[in-house]
Amino acid sequence: MNDKVILLVEDNADDEALTLRALKKNNIKNEVVVAHDGVEALDYLFGTGAFAGRSRRAVPQLVLLDLKLPRVDGLEVLRRLRADPHTHLLPVVILTSSKEERDLVSGYSLGANSYVRKPVDFGEFTEAIRQLGLYWLILNEPPPAQTT
Amino acid sequence: MAEAPGVQDKMHLTLERKIQIGFGIAVAIIVAVGAAALRSTTATVESALWVAHTLEVRRQLGATFADLITVETAVRGYVITGDTTYLGPYHAAQATVGGLLAGLRTLTGDNPAQQRRLDSLTTLVATRLERFQWTIETRRAGGPAAAARAVIGGRGKELMQLIRASIDSMEDEEGRLLAQRSATLQAKARLARLAAWSGAVIAVTLAGLAGVLVSGELSGRRRAEQIVQETQARFQQMLASSTAVLYGNTVVGETYSPSWVSENITRITGYELDEPLRPTWWIDHLHADDRARVLAEMPVLLVHDRLTTEYRFQYKDGTYHWVHDESRVLRDAAGEPVEVVGSWVDITDRRRAEEALRASEQRLRLLVGSVRDYAIYLLDATGTVVSWNPGAQQIKGYRAEEIVGQHFSRFYTPDDVAAGKPQAALQAAAAQGRFEEENWRIRKDGTRFWADVVISAVRDDRGTLVGFAKVTRDLTERKRAEDTLRRYAAQLEAANAELNAFAYSVSHDLRAPLRAIDGFSQALLEDYADRLDDAGKGHLARVRSASQRMATLIDDLLNLSRVTRSEMHIGPLDLSALASGIAEGLKKRDPARHVEFAIAPGLHAQADPGLIRVVLQNLLENAWKFTGKCSAARIELGSVPHDGRSAYFVRDNGAGFDMTYVGKLFGAFQRLHGAQEFDGTGIGLATVQRIIHRHGGRVWAEGAVGQGATFYFTL
Repeated sequence: MNDKVILLVEDNADDEALTLRALKKNNIKNEVVVAHDGVEALDYLFGTGAFAGRSRRAVPQLVLLDLKLPRVDGLEVLRRLRADPHTHLLPVVILTSSKEERDLVSGYSLGANSYVRKPVDFGEFTEAIRQLGLYWLILNEPPPAQTT
Repeated sequence: MAEAPGVQDKMHLTLERKIQIGFGIAVAIIVAVGAAALRSTTATVESALWVAHTLEVRRQLGATFADLITVETAVRGYVITGDTTYLGPYHAAQATVGGLLAGLRTLTGDNPAQQRRLDSLTTLVATRLERFQWTIETRRAGGPAAAARAVIGGRGKELMQLIRASIDSMEDEEGRLLAQRSATLQAKARLARLAAWSGAVIAVTLAGLAGVLVSGELSGRRRAEQIVQETQARFQQMLASSTAVLYGNTVVGETYSPSWVSENITRITGYELDEPLRPTWWIDHLHADDRARVLAEMPVLLVHDRLTTEYRFQYKDGTYHWVHDESRVLRDAAGEPVEVVGSWVDITDRRRAEEALRASEQRLRLLVGSVRDYAIYLLDATGTVVSWNPGAQQIKGYRAEEIVGQHFSRFYTPDDVAAGKPQAALQAAAAQGRFEEENWRIRKDGTRFWADVVISAVRDDRGTLVGFAKVTRDLTERKRAEDTLRRYAAQLEAANAELNAFAYSVSHDLRAPLRAIDGFSQALLEDYADRLDDAGKGHLARVRSASQRMATLIDDLLNLSRVTRSEMHIGPLDLSALASGIAEGLKKRDPARHVEFAIAPGLHAQADPGLIRVVLQNLLENAWKFTGKCSAARIELGSVPHDGRSAYFVRDNGAGFDMTYVGKLFGAFQRLHGAQEFDGTGIGLATVQRIIHRHGGRVWAEGAVGQGATFYFTL
């Protein structure tokens, strides 16, 4: 289970801490890689920038993607990883504060697998993380590894 | 047409003359032939008479000679025998010879030569008879011997030969005369036969020629008559179907008396044919208002030989009709007027149309003249102003006398004139029939105004461009208003965009700190529970509750903003079904409560389903909430007629409200109950009102404290 990496794309340190806390509380012990903006996330996924040399084949098990991010925003990250053959089947859950219609529509249009609004109530938030982990890391069969 | 009978007469006379001449010649020839035949017959008869005459003369001559022979024989018998019985034939012959000679004298009475010969014959016969007498005397006296000597010496033989010769010459003469006469007669008869034959041939030829001529003339004449008849029939038909009545008046001195009129007058005017021929018929039926004028015009007729006039004329049914009358004078060879002929057409319809047109033009003139908000004027084909209305004066500042005759390009700005726009506008109008634009124009005082200009090409019946009609409106005020409106709209759009950005930002950024406050408060409670006393834990619980309340407020505010910003999609909507769904949801969420829902079935409306769901959600949730303390809660959805449309309502029997504060009910963040009593943000009804207003409807409420509330809305 530990080899299944979760990529958490989150610029807000509070949310990062709360998300990690919620994962921990739910006994989800997978490695969590945190990217603090869209550029970092793409570098990690494509083995560029700070992550130069990293194998592109080692795709994460799940991406938890915030939308409002510095530099490159979440929707653009989604668009680019869906355009890349290594990552175009990668499960992506949008985890964000907004439930603006345009965000929902854009997120699903660009191929998000799920859209979850972060609840303000931490109890609810923990529950949401628990269910996400249960579903995407355990119940859901991941897409086959890309050969190219 | 009028000369045709004359030509016919001439043709007729010619034919008669020809026939007369032909017949004359034929008769003359026949008479001549008859005369010739008659003459020929007469000559034949004469010839026969002459033959008979000649034969008679010859017979008598023969008889005379025979008598003499008889006498001679008788005398010889007596001489020889002395028997006196021989003297019987002598006496008889002596008597007949005298008669024969007398007859010959009569027969040859017309021929002196024969008379002379007859004289000598008579003498010779007398001499011979005397000799016989002497011989007889001699015998009687001298006996046979004396008598024999007397016979021998008596030269009897010689005398007989002389008599024979005389008779022969007379006979020859007769024969010669006969031959001569016969030859003459035969020649005459030949001539007569020739004349008769050639006369007959000529007469037959002439008769044949005359026959051919006559039959030719007759068939020609029949053809001509047929043509005349056909033409006449056509003419009659034309006249009968014509709308023009033809008439003639005989001129007698200074007065006219009607002589004829075409039959179609009955069809057109209703008068019988004899009526128009009465002397005063025409004047009697002239309209009283036209009579004096028309009569005053009459003398012109004899001066110019023609007159055209129009007047009202009374028809048989009593109605008056306008009539166009054209007449001409016909004069004789001496130049004296003999007849007035004319034609006469009912022009009532034309008059009416002309009057209607005049009235319409008058109305149009009045209309154009009364228009002040539009400049309406005409240009000629080159763009020169030819008419001007008060509206044009009002808008452009020129008076008619200042601008008529000027080119319309002076209304354009100098830049537009330099760019050739006036000419281009006319060309476009001429090509497409119409040109329209909005642009700046210049008034007389040099100020600009924003004009709406329509230029229409004006063409005559044949399609030739005669000018342009221009209608100009001063839209300066409207332009200003539009510009202002555009500015406002742009500002509003910017504000809206800002609001959108703000709302987006709020939905993302405002909630994150709340989540941190709540999350870390919870973390404190979990991680540091052993170091916090109950008061500390209570404070943290309040921090968490406040942050959650804040989150709710933010969500409600975002909802309110969303119903304002979202696009409307109007469609058919089943309010009853929508409300039932919401009611089910409420019941499921709080199954402990027992609330009776009375939702009227079949409530339909045209509205935005998403927004109306928000309305019903808010109203039903409110009702649910404010009946929370009722023992027998009842929530009702229905409709009542209101101002001719349906007003829908949501009624509950809950806490109700004080009508004093009804004005505050729909304001944002306005609450009539404390949060302890009923929780809420005070944004729900503001959202409802906004949605109803976006639908063009109205929302209002009735209620009383403790007696429930009713919320009405229209769509």
